[in-house]
Amino acid sequence: MKNKNTISVILPIKSAVSGFFEEYLNKAIESIKVQKEQFDELIIVHTNENLLTKVLSEFDFGDLNVKLESWTKTANFADQVNHGVSLATSNWISIFEFDDEYSNIWVKNVKNYMDIYPNVGAFLPIVVDVDDKGVFVGFTNEATFAANISEEMGVLTNETLHTYQNFQISGMVIKKDLFVEYGMIKSNFKLTFGYEFLLRMTQNSVKFMTVPRIGYKHSNLREGSIFWNYKNGDERLSEDEVKFWIDAAKKEYFFNTQREINYEPQEI
Amino acid sequence: MNQEQITKLERSIQNMKDKTSRIYFVVQDTKGNAKASIRYIYQMAMALKSEGYNPIILHEKPEYFGVSDWLGDTYMTELPHKAIEGSNLEISPDDLIVIPEIFGFVMDQITKLPCGKIVLCQAYDHIFETLQPGQTWSQLGFYKCITTSEKQKEYIGSVMRNISSSVITPVISDVFKKQEFPPKTIISIHTREHRDTVNLIKTFYSKFPQYRWITFRDMRGLSESEFANAMKESFVSVWVDPTSGFGTYPLESMKMGIPVIGLVPNLVPEWMNEDNGIWINNPNMLSDVIADVVQNWLEDNLNPTLYDEMEKTISNYTDLTKFNEEVVKTFSDMMDTRLSNFEDQLSKFITIE
Repeated sequence: MKNKNTISVILPIKSAVSGFFEEYLNKAIESIKVQKEQFDELIIVHTNENLLTKVLSEFDFGDLNVKLESWTKTANFADQVNHGVSLATSNWISIFEFDDEYSNIWVKNVKNYMDIYPNVGAFLPIVVDVDDKGVFVGFTNEATFAANISEEMGVLTNETLHTYQNFQISGMVIKKDLFVEYGMIKSNFKLTFGYEFLLRMTQNSVKFMTVPRIGYKHSNLREGSIFWNYKNGDERLSEDEVKFWIDAAKKEYFFNTQREINYEPQEI
Repeated sequence: MNQEQITKLERSIQNMKDKTSRIYFVVQDTKGNAKASIRYIYQMAMALKSEGYNPIILHEKPEYFGVSDWLGDTYMTELPHKAIEGSNLEISPDDLIVIPEIFGFVMDQITKLPCGKIVLCQAYDHIFETLQPGQTWSQLGFYKCITTSEKQKEYIGSVMRNISSSVITPVISDVFKKQEFPPKTIISIHTREHRDTVNLIKTFYSKFPQYRWITFRDMRGLSESEFANAMKESFVSVWVDPTSGFGTYPLESMKMGIPVIGLVPNLVPEWMNEDNGIWINNPNMLSDVIADVVQNWLEDNLNPTLYDEMEKTISNYTDLTKFNEEVVKTFSDMMDTRLSNFEDQLSKFITIE
């Protein structure tokens, strides 16, 4: 274990085939390089897709401390993140996506907050959501500051999650031991794996605080992304299935271990 | 001149020398609400008390709420208080009475009192509120004025003839300290008119719905400690007071390390410069400027010079010892002048006798 308050970035990648992959990746990695205070390592858990392997092997990561970890099982965002976390040498981890960007002040601010609030287990950034043209769509995680949403301004609670679901875990910085102890991300969840994760962590008294600074830029519904696929692609979910996964998250978060859960379409 | 008058004069001279002459400070009852102008009066009275003078706080009605709730008990217990109504006030020629500019009607009532009279002008826009058209302070027997800034002194000189003004610069209370914890997404707002607060908040949320999660906190009607506690969570404060005479609110904010977005008042405060705040002239631009500052703050993009300049500015308004010295010097100079007038009178009388 390294010194107090070190952060490993976990970047799972499934494929380089989707449009503008290299352009996105360049921006994503650049956003790590230009941090005012540095992350401590970057762990990329990638599939063995030929193009992806080639791009990554030739990519210029500069001075970053990078681990390229090959994932030979079926591509799965949650499994790849969990594996990356198991390899992390820092005491905090941050989940990253190749089509997203950290703001250059994120590490500086989050480390400052870690010192000031030692009892906080996870810090969420205010996320700027942009469309595929980079145009501002809205904020995420900002709602912890809205009036009457949370008992303590800036703190995300289990109660809040039951009434308001629009929080996201990408960009989040969380203590590695808490992430592992309370069951990591459940890979058998579709759509609501992040929501279930937040419900479960807050149920286990992990304190989540939003740092009131823009920390992360998220590409909303990029073609080929997980959520785009749930909405428009091969894995498109029906309204009924969306409801199922939301309800499932609200029930399964009481269990730290992953249990079998399958959606069965309602017969009409 | 009879012996009785000579004796009275001698007694007055002795009172002034012994500092037992009464210095009455008229205050309004804020009903428990913190008010910088009232704190200023109490601080002056306390400064004089600690130098052996005899200040007395004078309130209108016997039922006086007091300042314990927001200024602390010391000021209430250390300083004697008296009501104008229902008590038999003793006023001698050697006494002084200090009356805020808003009490024009009281000035009118005490014109004939033989004591020394001083106007305390903290809000220049109230000067004419309770005076008759054409009426001046000097017509009511007031030739001395204490005010809070050179700008106000200049203004008073331009509208009131035969008035000699002294400036005693206020100090910002110690309650306003730098924040221990990072601020939250709260904007403190203080406007002269309550409806301006409401309008500004509604305009902001309407024009910038993406920032509806940013909270505005109306700083009206809070005790001083509530005020400071509420303010310390803010990342920026908004100040709209076109007729401000000094600008206590922005200075309190600066003292807490919180940048201020403000509308430049009609009488530009002497502490205001282009680097120590975000000062604008057009009230219609306020919501846009707030949105711009919010965005910049969220991105850690506010200019560090702003914070440095705030610190420099506020350093001129924190020295209570200097304030106390200014108060004591101003009053002792007045007393000395009055004393020498009394002594002149006495020597003339004795010569005639």
